[in-house]
Amino acid sequence: MICRMLMGALLRQRGRVLTITLTMALGASLATAMLNVMMDIGDKVNQELKAYGANLSVVPKSVSLISDLYGASDDGAQENAAPEKYLAEDEIAKLKTIFWAFNIVDFTPYLQISAKVSGPSGTVEAQVWGAWFDKHLDTPTGESVDTGMVRMKSWWDIEGAWPARDDPSGAMIGASLASKLGVKQGDRISVAAGHLGEAVVSGVFHSGGSEDDDLFVPLPLAQEISGLRGLVSKIDVSALTTPENDLARRAAQDPNSLSRHEWDTWYCTAYISSIAYQIEEVISNARAKPVLQVAESEGAILQKTQLLMLLLTVLSLACSALAISNLVTASVMERSAEIGLLEAVGASASEVSFLVLAETMIATLAGGVAGYLAGRGFAQIIGHTVFGSAIAAKGLVPPLVALLVFAVTVAGSLPAIRLLASLRPAEVLHGR
Amino acid sequence: MTRRRMFFKMLTYSLLRRRSRMTVALLSVAIGATVLLGMAAVSYDIPRQMGREFRSYGANMIFVASGEEALLRVDAAQRAAALIPPDELIGLTPYRYGIVRVNMQGYTAVGTDFDQAAKTSPYWSIAGEYPKAGGEILIGADVAEFTKLAPGSSMTVTGRAEDGTRFRLDAKISGTVRTGSVEDGFIFMPMPTLESLMGSSGVAEVVEVSIAADETELKRIVSEISREVPEISPRLVKRVTQSETTVLSKLQALVFLVSLVVLVLTMICVATTMMTVVLERRKEIGLKKALGADNRRIAAEFLGEGLFLGSAGGALGAVFGYMFAQAISMNVFGRAVTIDWRLPLLAVLISIAVTIAACLLPVRRAMDVEPALVLRGE
Repeated sequence: MICRMLMGALLRQRGRVLTITLTMALGASLATAMLNVMMDIGDKVNQELKAYGANLSVVPKSVSLISDLYGASDDGAQENAAPEKYLAEDEIAKLKTIFWAFNIVDFTPYLQISAKVSGPSGTVEAQVWGAWFDKHLDTPTGESVDTGMVRMKSWWDIEGAWPARDDPSGAMIGASLASKLGVKQGDRISVAAGHLGEAVVSGVFHSGGSEDDDLFVPLPLAQEISGLRGLVSKIDVSALTTPENDLARRAAQDPNSLSRHEWDTWYCTAYISSIAYQIEEVISNARAKPVLQVAESEGAILQKTQLLMLLLTVLSLACSALAISNLVTASVMERSAEIGLLEAVGASASEVSFLVLAETMIATLAGGVAGYLAGRGFAQIIGHTVFGSAIAAKGLVPPLVALLVFAVTVAGSLPAIRLLASLRPAEVLHGR
Repeated sequence: MTRRRMFFKMLTYSLLRRRSRMTVALLSVAIGATVLLGMAAVSYDIPRQMGREFRSYGANMIFVASGEEALLRVDAAQRAAALIPPDELIGLTPYRYGIVRVNMQGYTAVGTDFDQAAKTSPYWSIAGEYPKAGGEILIGADVAEFTKLAPGSSMTVTGRAEDGTRFRLDAKISGTVRTGSVEDGFIFMPMPTLESLMGSSGVAEVVEVSIAADETELKRIVSEISREVPEISPRLVKRVTQSETTVLSKLQALVFLVSLVVLVLTMICVATTMMTVVLERRKEIGLKKALGADNRRIAAEFLGEGLFLGSAGGALGAVFGYMFAQAISMNVFGRAVTIDWRLPLLAVLISIAVTIAACLLPVRRAMDVEPALVLRGE
């Protein structure tokens, strides 16, 4: 009987049921879209912040302070340099084997040498960096990665172009060095440091930093010129990280001070300090230093963005919940005549409440399902318009939305049901 | 005259007699306006608020001497800084470099103003304290590790002044600084200390400036400074400015889109509520028509109601929306929100427009009814 009454009520009052369903669908789609975007915003903004460049720099443990400060040591020293002042190039691919390998977005090794660079209008002593411009790498885990400076120096203003992949002599020259040497795109320059090498300027860049005085050449060329075969002097790593907390700060001071349980938590969270620790584990003789300018700021901005989205989500959900329960209340109250009739023929208040609640619930559930699907669409539209990539659908969203739909329906029906239960059948039926 | 009186009388009674239904409608309009104004205010204010947060990336402009000069005058930098609007200027830090020796090992000594450095480079991780007195220094983390010296111990710094005479300074280490980049290998000291060692004052290699402004404003400042203070060449730190612009514009676009979606949804909610409110009054419309009211009078009455609900709900929503935006701004950024005075006005206008539009559709349908049919209850 209940089922028949339910079906009858739903079918007869198609218009009203449709209104509730539609409203709930809208609310649910809003909730789905907001929750999905909110849960994915961290990753998305993190990706955007990668434009600030590397947040980890991997250097040899025993790097001498002198060369770090002056950048210059005489040519002889480079020739018979102790290998422990460098990192091995063939170990770089191991970065992709650490626990948080997936979070390592980009990396580029650099070999820093000081060399005499000659162009049409003279010879100057300059910093020359051997680097990967655009490198294809097959990792030990069978993945293939494309990385290099092209991806990590996105803020450079370039006249010309980055050297083509596997171009053995294409070079990028800083704007102020280029004007000292009088070279432009396509010119040949010679580089001498122990051995002599030749490079072709592929692009001139403005970075607004000290790099404007430097020359970047392919890594094999720099290794050949300096005689440092298979060696690099630092690796810049760009990693997606979780904002630091107390645990991460303590671990950064000394990982051994943590308890076993804390250590596990720390190691298995993508804190910058745990990623640095894991890099030191796989690359021999290396020290991974978080670049605080990037790492700290990233954390601060991520936290603010997440908090902002969270608050926006909660507040707008609260508002839409209010609006929807408002509507549910209105539509339930409209049915006073029908309820009055039911009570007049002997239905108890609880039976009537159950009937009304069940009806509303069926309508809202249908709306909720439709809304969830539409919300997924909304989230994708937002993701593609703003970030140019899809928003990952999180598994936590459907139960949350279901809970929300349920709570809003019950909360919206309750005041109306209380009112209906207290109606006097005779008065209602009389039309007052 | 009497017509107008009658109109207002009917309007007032219709609002008063149907109190609960009108409260529902009013509430839904108010909620719509709240979300509208709140979201609009937040997305309008985001570049300013987030821009402040982005200053944690450090200086976005540097001053260097123009031409072939290596050093710039600090007073020229101050003159240039006066051209930057004071509420946008976050910090201005001069840096001067010198070469010193500690135990025959060469280091770069940096003279600076630590109060300003803490503002332009908030990411410096300091163990111990910034130097306060003249004889105190701050050493980089790598220097501390290499020399095995901790804050509190002392260090003897030697070197040659500009005129060639040797100097010697017994300094107390007040703290160590860690940044993960070149600063880890520097020895920092107060500017007057380095000046007295070097034997000249009032100059700096570079001045770092942190300005809370977007790229167009920064470019304007750059061109103004290079015109007004020709001995200084201001440069934008591209890495910081460019990235900030991309990230900020994406964030704003995100909040804007989200607001748009929320707005559309709440508007639909308002519209459906209004439609139910109007549709239930088919009987009343039928009665009025039977008594001789023409369609225009009926429409005018409903529009009057819509106008009242829209403006009252919109005004209520504007107040709540302001609180909404203020709550978000205080919680996330810890700063008050600034609202353009046009936004609340716009929120009220949109509420009125939506309410009236939502009334129009069902009213038109209701006006087509045959009075006799409706009154008989069909």
